[in-house]
Amino acid sequence: MSHSVHSHPQLDVQVERKFIPKQKDLGADVTWAKINKDVLRSLEKPRPVFWVIFFSALALFSFGVYCEVYQYQNGMGVADLNNPQVWGLYIATFIFWIGMGHSGTLLSALLHIIHADWRKPIYRYSEAMTTFTLLTAALFVLVHMGRLWQFYYVVAYPNERWTWPNFTSPLVWDATAIGTYLTSSLLFLYMGMIPDLAICRDNARGARRALYRFLSMGWQGTDRQWANFKVAYMTMACFLMPLAVSVHSIVSTDFAVSQNPGWHVTSFPPYFVLGALYSGCSGIITLFIVLRYVFRFEAYMTQPILNKLIKMTFAIAMVWTYLDLIEYATTWYGSDEVAKADLIYRATGDYALQFWGMIFCAMVMPFTLLIRFVRHNYVVLLIISLILNVGMWLERFQIITPTFAKSHYPWTWTAGWWPSWVQWGIVAGSFGWFTMLFMLYCKIFPSVSMYEVKEMVHEQNMEEKALAAQTDVHEAGLVPEMKGGQA
Amino acid sequence: MKKSHTLALYADMDEAANALRELKSSGMSGFRMEDVVVKSPIDHPELSELLGPRPVYIQWFTLLGVLLGPTTGLVLIASAQASFIYQVRGGRPVVPLPPDMVLTYELFILSGVLMTVLATFVAMKLPGNRSPLYNASVSEDKIGILVKADPQSIPQINEILGRHKPLEIMGDQAR
Amino acid sequence: MSLSNLIQNWNSFRTRRPYEGQYDDAPYKWAMVIDLDACIGCNACTVACYAENNLPVVGKERFGKGQAMHWIRIERYWGEGDAMTSEFPDHGAQYLPMLCQQCEAAPCEPVCPVGATHHSPDGLNTQVYNRCVGSRYCSANCPYKVRYFNWWNYPDRAWPNPLELQLNPDVTVRSKGVMEKCTFCMQRLRAGMDKAKTEGRILADGEVLTACAQACPTSAITFGNLADKKSKVARMWKNQQVDLAKDSQEKSEEGIRGYRILEELNTYPSIVYLERVRNLEA
Repeated sequence: MSHSVHSHPQLDVQVERKFIPKQKDLGADVTWAKINKDVLRSLEKPRPVFWVIFFSALALFSFGVYCEVYQYQNGMGVADLNNPQVWGLYIATFIFWIGMGHSGTLLSALLHIIHADWRKPIYRYSEAMTTFTLLTAALFVLVHMGRLWQFYYVVAYPNERWTWPNFTSPLVWDATAIGTYLTSSLLFLYMGMIPDLAICRDNARGARRALYRFLSMGWQGTDRQWANFKVAYMTMACFLMPLAVSVHSIVSTDFAVSQNPGWHVTSFPPYFVLGALYSGCSGIITLFIVLRYVFRFEAYMTQPILNKLIKMTFAIAMVWTYLDLIEYATTWYGSDEVAKADLIYRATGDYALQFWGMIFCAMVMPFTLLIRFVRHNYVVLLIISLILNVGMWLERFQIITPTFAKSHYPWTWTAGWWPSWVQWGIVAGSFGWFTMLFMLYCKIFPSVSMYEVKEMVHEQNMEEKALAAQTDVHEAGLVPEMKGGQA
Repeated sequence: MKKSHTLALYADMDEAANALRELKSSGMSGFRMEDVVVKSPIDHPELSELLGPRPVYIQWFTLLGVLLGPTTGLVLIASAQASFIYQVRGGRPVVPLPPDMVLTYELFILSGVLMTVLATFVAMKLPGNRSPLYNASVSEDKIGILVKADPQSIPQINEILGRHKPLEIMGDQAR
Repeated sequence: MSLSNLIQNWNSFRTRRPYEGQYDDAPYKWAMVIDLDACIGCNACTVACYAENNLPVVGKERFGKGQAMHWIRIERYWGEGDAMTSEFPDHGAQYLPMLCQQCEAAPCEPVCPVGATHHSPDGLNTQVYNRCVGSRYCSANCPYKVRYFNWWNYPDRAWPNPLELQLNPDVTVRSKGVMEKCTFCMQRLRAGMDKAKTEGRILADGEVLTACAQACPTSAITFGNLADKKSKVARMWKNQQVDLAKDSQEKSEEGIRGYRILEELNTYPSIVYLERVRNLEA
């Protein structure tokens, strides 16, 4: 800047150093006491809209349970699965759900490590989302099993026959990874919630008080507890983020380790991880809008925070798009003719609608996030975030189905396979199950982290105080003006 | 000698900091800075400096977890594979190392996390670390300073605490 | 106990298979040769297999849904290019009996989560029904798609009274939710090998046959012990210049017909197919 001023003295522009005020994440009226009041209010008697959502979810879940019982009694045949199409919607939806969870960890762990404070009001429900999506994904592992009643064979337990699971199978890696992820994220969620549970304990009565007293385990907010808590929480965050990356990489090895065309792709692990973060981020946007409305969290789930979330989602969507395109490019320019034929079949064959639907929903639609109107209109944004997730579900569908329809062996090429109502019912039921659990969670546990929002408010106040002090000093003329050259 | 407790509540971190500073510089007998406990709704780096060192040992447990977990895990996995009626699968070695690394990695994370959680509860003396004086407002928006001292020093401590606009002073000898 | 086992046998636990001379000292390695030129597509092998191995007949509707249970299936292909456009496209028709290839490096084996499928010492790809949980990953990873899943509980309806009396007592009737596939008539092999062991010898060539090989009217299927260098199947493999432990075969001259299906996927199948001889001018 100074160069231009010096080399063009005729442009004698006075460069004024102006402080550009950052848009504050929280309003000025948020105080510590208000935070307690607002968040604890979300645990009280629900509004009617809560019951509407809860009971629709319960109805969906009940239908899913009916379908599963029907399948359990009659055999997997009721799902219209057949010899090449052995997995159908079950594994596609499994990947979808397990992917949904990853963004919760991104917000709660990675953004915690890099001190991105805007995560604080929204990470708690994202972390809860992680836990419940993992529980939902685990359901699909069970649902797709031919002999559900023998599921414990996959678990490594000592027995007198010296039989063990096959540790080389990606499915055992899956089970271990999901088990580790579920345990760790549940503990991470719980640990981060302890100070808030103490707040609930201090404000609740009756059975709830007993529950919170038990769960908060005697937290009193002493300095020693805080010091230990901070170290422990950071340590957990450092474990959780690589864990999340490893979990979806392992899920991708279900496909990348096998040799089917369209699956045997080296770039699958990062592609899956990014896809997971992508669908998770749009899931967080969906829940952001829903919770903001249902629980009146307008003061905490603010537009600046939403803007940052949308920026992150858009960036992740673009990286995912890139990885998707290089997957096609490497197949196209590669030497594997079968994989190439499979790619052409995906784009032009029986499942072309799903393929192009995915391209539209997941690759084109994120660009609407660049429009200011979309970011500020919550109804439109809600619909768009759902469309992005439809796109990601279609992506999983078109990874699995076309590959089975046209794999290495020509005699098994089938056209126009379509899942039966049982599969659709179980998939719908899983959405009910997730929503039900999540809504229950929001009524029992604080879905906004109170102590961390308090930290945010405290920091904002400190900043303001420091700024005010600085302005005073400036006005008194005690500090010389900054030189333009340093700008 | 049996010790007495007193708890002062402050509305502001700055006032609590001033009170702590005065307590520290008072150099009274029958009272140590280690016995001062600050109870607050959020973490407070600015007060922690006044309180002196409060060491954290959790990371050593974590280290133990990440060292023991994967090694025992790998040995258990490999010996399970070796004992499973000599199963050759897909032409791979019976004890194949690359796939075992995947599980070893997961066990590395799992044991690290579990040991961290365990260590946290040990370090925070949870569950059931009930200190004698507690006020629910420290979980809302107040800062509490809890001091443990000999009974005869308590009046003097209460006086120091009282000088910095406390909202309330509680304890056996509170007025 | 298992740790000392691990340390003692470390070298054998770290061996990759197949390797040259793997079955030199072994008594048995079951293998097959199928001559496509001799196959007339009569389906006798399929029928024999259904009778021998208690395979359920699923009915027209379920067959149409792709839920058939034929462990050996006759695939019909039409010739391509000129053969199709010629005056008599039927001349291009050819048949291929497809059954489990008993791969030496079977893609189905490492992916099973419970170890229900693994390799036996006589070179068979085994399936343990009791252990199977029905994840169907083996089928997903099988390039030949020759693994069949019990989508329904077939014992309920497949053999109405008195048909259940014709079930083979030596073979399990599989319940719903388990994977099954061609076993090379394991029950016959087991009985034969046990009998031979009692008599202190190894099985002679042709003493035990699979049901399909036995039923084939044109002797298109040759079954035998590859470890026995003098057996018919071993001589055919040698004449066709197919090496079990190689993933691509070098032929010394043109016109040698032996090949293994999808060999480039490094599955090392135990079945050699002899290419059909075609008269392209006809």
